[in-house]
Amino acid sequence: MTQDNEPYIALGGIRKAYRIGGEMIPIFTGLDLTIPRGDFVAVMGPSGSGKSTLLNMLAGIDRPDGGTLRIGTSHLDQMGEAARAGWRAHNMGIVFQFYNLLPMLTAAENVELPLLLKPLTRKERRLRVERVLDLVGLSGREKQYPALMSGGQQQRVGIARAIVSDPGLLLCDEPTGDLDRKSADEVLEMLRFLNRQLEKTIIMVTHDPQAALYARRTLHLDKGDFIEEKRAA
Amino acid sequence: MPVFLSTHSRQALVMIRTNLSSLPRRRAISASMALSVALVVCVLAGFLSMAKGFETALASAGSPSVAVVLGGGTNQEVGSDIPAAVIRTLDAMTGDLGVIRDTGGKLLSSREIVVPVDMRQVTDGASRTLALRGMDLAGPSIREGVAVSAGRIFSPGAREIVVGDRLADEFGLGLGDVVRLGAVDWTVAGHFSAHGSAFESELWADLDAVRSAFDRQGQVQSLKLRLAGPASLTLLRDALATIRQAPLAAVSEADLYAAQSGRTASLIRLFGWPLALLMAVGAAAGALNTMMSSVSDRTVEIATVRALGFSRLSAFLGTWIEAIVLAAAGVAVGLIASWLIFNGWQASTIGANNARMAFQLAVTPDVLLTSGLLGLAIGILGGALPAIAATRLPLTAALRTRG
Ligand SMILES: Nc1ncnc2c1ncn2[C@@H]1O[C@H](COP(=O)(O)OP(=O)(O)OP(=O)(O)O)[C@@H](O)[C@H]1O
Ligand SMILES: [Mg+2]
Repeated sequence: MTQDNEPYIALGGIRKAYRIGGEMIPIFTGLDLTIPRGDFVAVMGPSGSGKSTLLNMLAGIDRPDGGTLRIGTSHLDQMGEAARAGWRAHNMGIVFQFYNLLPMLTAAENVELPLLLKPLTRKERRLRVERVLDLVGLSGREKQYPALMSGGQQQRVGIARAIVSDPGLLLCDEPTGDLDRKSADEVLEMLRFLNRQLEKTIIMVTHDPQAALYARRTLHLDKGDFIEEKRAA
Repeated sequence: MPVFLSTHSRQALVMIRTNLSSLPRRRAISASMALSVALVVCVLAGFLSMAKGFETALASAGSPSVAVVLGGGTNQEVGSDIPAAVIRTLDAMTGDLGVIRDTGGKLLSSREIVVPVDMRQVTDGASRTLALRGMDLAGPSIREGVAVSAGRIFSPGAREIVVGDRLADEFGLGLGDVVRLGAVDWTVAGHFSAHGSAFESELWADLDAVRSAFDRQGQVQSLKLRLAGPASLTLLRDALATIRQAPLAAVSEADLYAAQSGRTASLIRLFGWPLALLMAVGAAAGALNTMMSSVSDRTVEIATVRALGFSRLSAFLGTWIEAIVLAAAGVAVGLIASWLIFNGWQASTIGANNARMAFQLAVTPDVLLTSGLLGLAIGILGGALPAIAATRLPLTAALRTRG
């Protein structure tokens, strides 16, 4: 078990490079980062600075070339592909910029997807789906297909899908990047609610300084390292 | 309903479902894959049912209880010759020859010759070579499964023919019709049926009438004898071995036709299989292409559910089963089409005695099974590689694009 004084997420000496046109371009060369449980972190930074790469590593869908990456008690850097898929299923929810809903599934069916990975009966799954759709303000739209929903509604389905299996960690890559101001604010309110009321740890990549204001703190990523923004209380 | 379907099968099921419901996005290419499978199935089913029909026609022609004696060191009727002296010797033998005798103690036998004749078809006027068989009066009754279906049998010495049902149909030969074969006219006295066997492709007439019309006086090509049972053939062979005038061979009618049908049927298969397999390879390449495009079409969806924690196996199964379902649809279309097109289709080939032999293509269950399995194999093999590709999608790259 993690001790109370140990951070929830700990990255140590993370190295990551991508091969671009035959050349290895380093993104991170020894990145350190710790995030306590219950935090809500906004990650900002110029395009190409590695924000999505960082998030993907935290989600276990990308691997660091070197260094240590621990979330809770799981050492993601030491886990194989299948183990990381299993870890994803039970420990984190992910929210995409373009929602990534499956167009041939209804809202409820999209939200149900992560629950298929758990040993639940059909009835238990339906109750949970109803509960989270209600939470994101979409009750009554269970049978609707994504194509018939506004961007804001689709993203709320995306958030419902991310939290339906009740993970402790929520990873959001530009969750409001494709939304108008009003829808963006609704989504951000929802994330703040999830952080404050349901104690989800949230890491959100964003380009929008307004969005970052919803977080507890903002990290600026540049040239492979973080600068913490000092914010007036 | 099981309370907990294993999470693996639930993942696979939802992947299969989403794949199949996204098929309309790839309607054209998916349909072309199914159709190419259907085509392969049709081609193979066509050849196999042809071989099968040919075998059926010849297999039902031969009885194991009928012996065919051939002379002159050949094992087929063509080129066989049995001297009259041999037949006299055989008739004179007393003892048990394994051959049934009539009430007068005479061997139940028929001396026969086969003459190729040309006959004009009513439909297209084309003339074709048929086998006219001259036989003793006992000839039809020695054979198994032969029945006069219309009219009567030929009279001794008369220029009358009885015609197999199949030929009667094809050439429009009604009772009482007069046809010219060789230099003389013959009257159709009757029709006979023989369970659709090769016999139905023959014209039968009195032995002496055929001999005189075709200047074959005294000739006997083969001697048919009704055995007491299949095992009696050895008794007959022993008896024939004592006749020193000419080399003689006795085979069962069943073996005689089986040997002929075996050669031709395997020739048909020898031609059909490579063609079908070659086409199957082409269809598998098409299936591979179709499924690759299916994977690339679903890249974001696959990457998304994988990011949610779905297993590689579910990505594999979703794609693979889509391929198999498409192939199965093709198989269904191919089998139904084969059945409608080929079953009962009349075909003909040059059979024994250089005469035309008609037979029906037989789309039997094992023809359907074999062709269907080949069609499914196209999906199973052609879909495997793309299914593996689906498990190896680079998730980060896939998720960078708009969903
Ligand atoms: N799968 C990949 N293959 C090759 N290069 C990649 C891959 N993913 C990211 N990169 C490169 O790594 C660098 C960082 O990419 P990343 O997506 O993490 O940046 P980002 O900060 O999220 O940028 P943006 O704000 O534009 O989303 C970029 O130069 C990008 O081209
Ligand atoms: Mg990014």
